[in-house]
Amino acid sequence: MRRRVLGVVAVAAVALFALLPLLSTDQARSAGLPQILDRSQLRELTTISMFVVLTSAWNIIGGLAGYPSFGNVVFFGLGAYATAVLTDPEHGHLPLVVGLLASPLVPAVAAVVIGFPLLRLRGHYFSIATLGISIAFGEVINNLDVLGGATGLFPPIIRNDLLFYYLMFFAAALTVAVTWWITRSRLGYGLVAIRENEEAAAVLGVDTTRYKIIAFVIAAVLTGLAGGIFAQWNSFINRENVFPVDYSVQMILMAVIGGAGSITGPVVGAVGLEALIQLLAGGSGVYTQILLGALLAVTVIFLPRGVIDFVVGRSRLTLAHFRRSLRETSV
Amino acid sequence: MSTPLLELQDVTKRFGGVVAVNGVSFDVGEGELVGLIGPNGAGKTTLLNCLSRMYRLDAGSIRFGGVDIAKLGRHEVARLGMGRTFQVVRPFRSMTARENVAIGALFGSERARLAPAEAFTVADEVIDLVGLGGRAKLLVDELTVPDRRRLEVARALATRPRLLLLDEVMAGLNPSEVAEELEVVKRINASGIAILVIEHVMQVIVGICPRVVVLHFGRVLLEGDPATVLGDPRVVEAYLGERYARRLQEARGG
Repeated sequence: MRRRVLGVVAVAAVALFALLPLLSTDQARSAGLPQILDRSQLRELTTISMFVVLTSAWNIIGGLAGYPSFGNVVFFGLGAYATAVLTDPEHGHLPLVVGLLASPLVPAVAAVVIGFPLLRLRGHYFSIATLGISIAFGEVINNLDVLGGATGLFPPIIRNDLLFYYLMFFAAALTVAVTWWITRSRLGYGLVAIRENEEAAAVLGVDTTRYKIIAFVIAAVLTGLAGGIFAQWNSFINRENVFPVDYSVQMILMAVIGGAGSITGPVVGAVGLEALIQLLAGGSGVYTQILLGALLAVTVIFLPRGVIDFVVGRSRLTLAHFRRSLRETSV
Repeated sequence: MSTPLLELQDVTKRFGGVVAVNGVSFDVGEGELVGLIGPNGAGKTTLLNCLSRMYRLDAGSIRFGGVDIAKLGRHEVARLGMGRTFQVVRPFRSMTARENVAIGALFGSERARLAPAEAFTVADEVIDLVGLGGRAKLLVDELTVPDRRRLEVARALATRPRLLLLDEVMAGLNPSEVAEELEVVKRINASGIAILVIEHVMQVIVGICPRVVVLHFGRVLLEGDPATVLGDPRVVEAYLGERYARRLQEARGG
């Protein structure tokens, strides 16, 4: 019963996200339909969709495979730069479609190159290494004059917020669909086995190196696509707006609070938290940070498996897990 | 005579200055049931880790099904048909018993790859075979300690191995549980799967293994049928100390 209600709520929410933006068009206005969504709200919705992509993509490597990357923003940045270089009038000057098609490719190659050495590390070591790599990439690009240096790149302006909304919405839907497919395939079972015990997975026949790299590449491809769309939408990119460490942190925050390792958890986390962040954007950023930190702490202590498990009724509000992990870590 | 399923030749593994396994050579034939015993620290688990490629050899060679496994990955050895359990169980904790076993069925032997749905059918069969029936839907944390050991065996068995390496799967079981477990091991072996069983529980070795290899200080002390091996003064000495061995010798002599 509870699940059915939640299913209806989920379908309604997706339909709302898919159709509501149409009301902001000029055609809708001239047809006399109510204007419940203005341009700036449409842009906010686009940003929410973007975080659904980033968080759900992070979930594939961080949540399913259990490799908590702190540097996934590197794929966002590389995707953005790949698109921008191709479409910027002073560089490639190619059409938008070509730029967007390139956005997943560069991050995919980067994921293989970074993944081979880094995916041998585990836990905090992996996190720190990915964090370092993402900062290094941003720094290098910031100093490459070919890529516009600190000034950045300027893809041609396309004034069509609705187009970019739907591109981002499509990317989000794609990411969720890919996650759904993974969890039902051999790949998904292998990744969760790796997360739970890598040696045991290996002796049962899971090609752990290959699987981890595949997961990393899939995450990179989807994250890069979001980066490409963002570059074109924003028509200006530089290190500050496409390589921010904040994004890496937010992906993790949203996935963990929502429920890492599940399909819906990261989506709920991304929508909920990004909406909250934008609501609080009027005030001081400090309070937002404090609130997010507090939320994370409360979730990890009381709902270690995320909000979604609690909502669906699979886990209860409990300190039991927290007590156990305290026991296990205080040996 | 055809080539044995598993051939160890001068297998050596060092940790710094400690030689944990020192020039060990023996064979396991197709469908054979061999016991591997030895006092604590003899190098039994280290040897097992060499076999399943958890460790890299320092010298010697291991051939499995005629293939030198030195350059293979762990998963490749598993897919060739070598399954193993861990002495300290390593379950996938977020999964149910059934899902744990299904992972083995999904990724094991390359001879017949299964789709997820088929893997769960195999998992159900294996779960019944090892005596976990009725507990398939439980999470690992909800299983008793003996059941977790059974789960280790089930998971390895689900990979449809040609050789199963059992690392002290009966440690900590009570006598009736040991008896049940012995039946399971016999049944697995009867289905044509070769088994190398590491065990401290003597009853196991005597009861079911036609051949026993004794390891001591990383070397093969001797090899033979259980009655001969357990009566050998060198084995008694290795286990119980020199003084006891001498007393036993005198008692027999006098």
